[in-house]
Amino acid sequence: MSKSPWIYHINTGSCNGCDIELVSVITPRYDAERLGFKLTGTPRHADIVVVSGPITAQSKDRLVRTLAQIPDPKVVVSLGSCPRSCNVFKGSYSVEGPLDKFVHVDVSVAGCPPKPEAIIDGLALAAQIMKQKKRGQK
Amino acid sequence: MIQHFPILAIMVLFLGAFLTVLCGKNKVLRNIVVFAAMLASSVFIAFLIKPIMIDGEVITYWLGNWSPVADYAIGICLVVDQLNLFFAILVSVAVLLAGVFSFKYMSRDDTLEKYFTLFLMLSGGVMGLVLSGDLFNMFIMVEILTFAAVALTAFRNRSEGALEAAFKYLVIGVIGSSCILIGTTILYSQFHTLNLAQLSVLLHNNLQPATILAFTLLLTGFAVKAFVVPFHPVEADANAAAPSSVSVIISCVLTKAGIYGIIRIVYFLFRSMNLAPLQFILVLIGTLSMFIGVTMALAQKDFKRLLAFHSISQVGYVMTAIGLATALGVTGGLYHAINHTLFKGLLFLCAGAVFYATGTTNLDKLGGLAKRMPQTAALFLIGAFSISGLPPFNGFVSKWLIYQATYEKAVEFGNIGYAFVTIIALVVSVMTLASFIKVSQSVFFGQLPDEFKEVRETPVPMRIPMWIMAALCVGAGLLPQYMMRYLINPAVYAVMNVGNYIGSVMGPGYAEKIAGQTVEAYSSEFALAGYWSPISWLALFAIIICAFFIVSLSGGKLSKKIHSDSPSGLDPKYDTFFSGEANEHSQVGGSDLFWGFKHNLRHYFDFMHNAHSGVISDYALWAFCFLSFMIVYLFIIV
Amino acid sequence: MILFYVLIFPGFLFCFIAGLLLAGIDRKLVARMQRRIGPPILQPMYDFFKLLGKETIVPRAASRKTFLIASTIGLASLVATALFIPIAGFSAFAGVADIIVILYLLTIPAVSLILGGAASGSPYAGVGISREMVALMSYELPLVIILLSIGKAVGNAMGGGITFSFTEICAYQMSFGPIISKWSMIPAAIAMLFVIPCEIGSRPFDIAEAETEICEGPLVEYSGTPLAVFNLNHAIKMFIMTALFTSLFLGGFSTGIFALDVLIFFVICVAITVISITLLRAVTARLKVEQVFKFYWSVVSGLAVLSLILVWLGL
Repeated sequence: MSKSPWIYHINTGSCNGCDIELVSVITPRYDAERLGFKLTGTPRHADIVVVSGPITAQSKDRLVRTLAQIPDPKVVVSLGSCPRSCNVFKGSYSVEGPLDKFVHVDVSVAGCPPKPEAIIDGLALAAQIMKQKKRGQK
Repeated sequence: MIQHFPILAIMVLFLGAFLTVLCGKNKVLRNIVVFAAMLASSVFIAFLIKPIMIDGEVITYWLGNWSPVADYAIGICLVVDQLNLFFAILVSVAVLLAGVFSFKYMSRDDTLEKYFTLFLMLSGGVMGLVLSGDLFNMFIMVEILTFAAVALTAFRNRSEGALEAAFKYLVIGVIGSSCILIGTTILYSQFHTLNLAQLSVLLHNNLQPATILAFTLLLTGFAVKAFVVPFHPVEADANAAAPSSVSVIISCVLTKAGIYGIIRIVYFLFRSMNLAPLQFILVLIGTLSMFIGVTMALAQKDFKRLLAFHSISQVGYVMTAIGLATALGVTGGLYHAINHTLFKGLLFLCAGAVFYATGTTNLDKLGGLAKRMPQTAALFLIGAFSISGLPPFNGFVSKWLIYQATYEKAVEFGNIGYAFVTIIALVVSVMTLASFIKVSQSVFFGQLPDEFKEVRETPVPMRIPMWIMAALCVGAGLLPQYMMRYLINPAVYAVMNVGNYIGSVMGPGYAEKIAGQTVEAYSSEFALAGYWSPISWLALFAIIICAFFIVSLSGGKLSKKIHSDSPSGLDPKYDTFFSGEANEHSQVGGSDLFWGFKHNLRHYFDFMHNAHSGVISDYALWAFCFLSFMIVYLFIIV
Repeated sequence: MILFYVLIFPGFLFCFIAGLLLAGIDRKLVARMQRRIGPPILQPMYDFFKLLGKETIVPRAASRKTFLIASTIGLASLVATALFIPIAGFSAFAGVADIIVILYLLTIPAVSLILGGAASGSPYAGVGISREMVALMSYELPLVIILLSIGKAVGNAMGGGITFSFTEICAYQMSFGPIISKWSMIPAAIAMLFVIPCEIGSRPFDIAEAETEICEGPLVEYSGTPLAVFNLNHAIKMFIMTALFTSLFLGGFSTGIFALDVLIFFVICVAITVISITLLRAVTARLKVEQVFKFYWSVVSGLAVLSLILVWLGL
């Protein structure tokens, strides 16, 4: 279970800094694919959902809906400081708040943006958590 | 007693038609009369199977007992040999199932007594055509069925385009009938007889310019009835406008009647199938029909028009196979003829069921009906896979035979052109599959529009004939050896051996006496280049599927892990994935599928679009051009 | 005995292992070509078993039964094809199916994918299946021409005119050497090498499952076991297509020991995978659907027709 974690990435209004770092994790320099990670195109295929960005008002509905469409067992990873604490956007009229208001966050990778090594660390931890969740389910 | 069955099979239908007029207003009585007529006719035909197909007799029936006098056939005769019976079985099955379907299907229309009268007249006409043994009788029956079909096309005269379609059908149909009439008249004036057997002997090695002209006219006339290229646009219009049960008859039965006519003219009357250029022209017409039919079908927006264009394509297959003049070719062609009746009938009945439930056949407006009409969807898929030629359904067997026949013909002649016919046939088959995937996605799968959320499954009286046809499709695919032994091989033998027919009709030894030589029989043996054993294949497939169900059950406790929504639920978990947007209706329109294909062939499609202008004078012009071309061509080759 | 053939060799288990190994090797080699380490070779197996453990969500708009059984039908037809194609000269059920049947059987997995996508009730799937169908139409033409030219070439030599049967093709290759050694069949071999990636759906012809464009196309709503089976179909199809190529063009070798034969056969399949799938995948971008169609119906079909004409001229 932990050897083949598939990732779906949701951008809820991020500045794209974290997204670029996430994509760079798949590149040959950091090569997350050797651990079995794969970016999927649809949440139905995903095990780990990586959310970046402070949850803006416009993206809140869509985030909740997409999160509901991911099959169990799933692991939620918040990428960067924005979903963790809204970062510099806290208190804005259009920002709905940190991610754990909407869903239980399993792994939180802090940083603005976090280094790719930290992202890989967080994803590997998420893969382990997924294995435990699967065992817990049985 | 058996001697009378052919005429009874025909007369029962006509009698039923007249009785329907009399008792028309009483719905129950009318339905009983109609059903009894169709059933009786089918029973008579069924009783003829054993003596003719199995024992090899040929039944000849002279109306009024006017037997030939001094070797001269004066009376009208009905001849039932294996080929006739083959087509009669095809006709009776289609008529019976379409008729039963129309009881419930037409129940929302009014003036139904006229519908059933015309329906029975149509059936009687076709039955008469395939059972008759002389030219003028065939012409009369052709007239009856043309006018009945025209009237039935216009039956729903309040719907848009029905009257126009009927008018177009009338014009082209009359052109065809006139060709047949003129051809018959010329032959009569030359030989003073109308009997097919006698003419066959008298024409042998005796071709004069007038008879060649008659040959061309007869061939063109029956080609019009079979709706091959270039007479095909009318069939699309007629089939789209007619009620579905009538579409079954027009596209499945009338086209076969045209094919039957062509076989009789070319193989029997003129016995000229050993002329290579004649084979070439028939194969050419068939190949053009195949290709034009399917490419036009890929561009259609209307369900029934699309099915009609596919009919043209499949009749092209039959024509190609018959034009090859080899035993394997004729086998493939006849097998495909009966398969086409079965699966195209099933498809048109499904189209009728969809129309009954939703009131429209526009592919852009339909969608997602499989959730509300699952059985109809399953039946449609059976028909779609049959027509695409997927194993183990019946379309595959006949297409397999046709591919082998065309490829072997290419080898026999050393002519690579026939290899291209094989390639075109295979590619057309894939395009047929594509077209039906498009239809199933547009009609049955995909998203259900709001206005159809309350449609109900097809009523049982309509479903029964559909299930029977589906069962026959599957059966014909799984048990080809029985089909071949009892139905196809006798018919092929009859096609290849004219002598049997002539001897039975005019008395033995007639051909030798008049023509001075015995009638050659062509070989009806063939060797297959490959092998296919459907029963073992299907058993294997079933074993494999069982094995996999076991595997998937063990690999995750399938039943516990599948989650779907409660019937009234609104949990977003079970929404369609729209990148997070709320669920909304955005079904991919039927005419938008296959954009890549249409884009690449856009020059071809533009040309076709302009050519199929819908103006009846254009179609009539095509008909006359074809006729003149054929006249010139046949005069050159003979 | 039949069950052994169906389940173990050359049926389910053999296809399972061979297909997933080929898929794994392909991924690893693509990664190596991109100068990175890449996933372990057994990665597709991990993927498969992971997916078996996930839940299957059936969307509200989907037609449930078709949605669930579509993948199994594809798998069954692929395994059936494996039983009929001669693997290292051994065919489990010779005499049941010939080349034309295999041609049709090979369209069934694509049709099962299309049915699964159609049953999903999603517009992304609708677009995906339309593209898959156009891709199917585009590669069928050259495939047909290739098979017909092989039939004629073998038939010429074996004296039957034409043949469609696999046993005859194997016998021909045993006595005359692999078909690819006839120079008139080389264009057909090249054409077949182009047909393989389109049939499997790998770059540059993976227009049907374009991840980034239409969210995985027909598979957009699938999860859990049906998705696992579809991915397995994808992998087994790699094996089947390369096995078909090997048995049609490169047959005729035999060391006498059956297990060694199968091993050599598999190694050749890997080589073909590398040549036709991996190399193209690593260096090209995705083609649009009308470009795919034009490419197949002009260049690849042209090559195949060249072979057909050469064979017909008796060369």
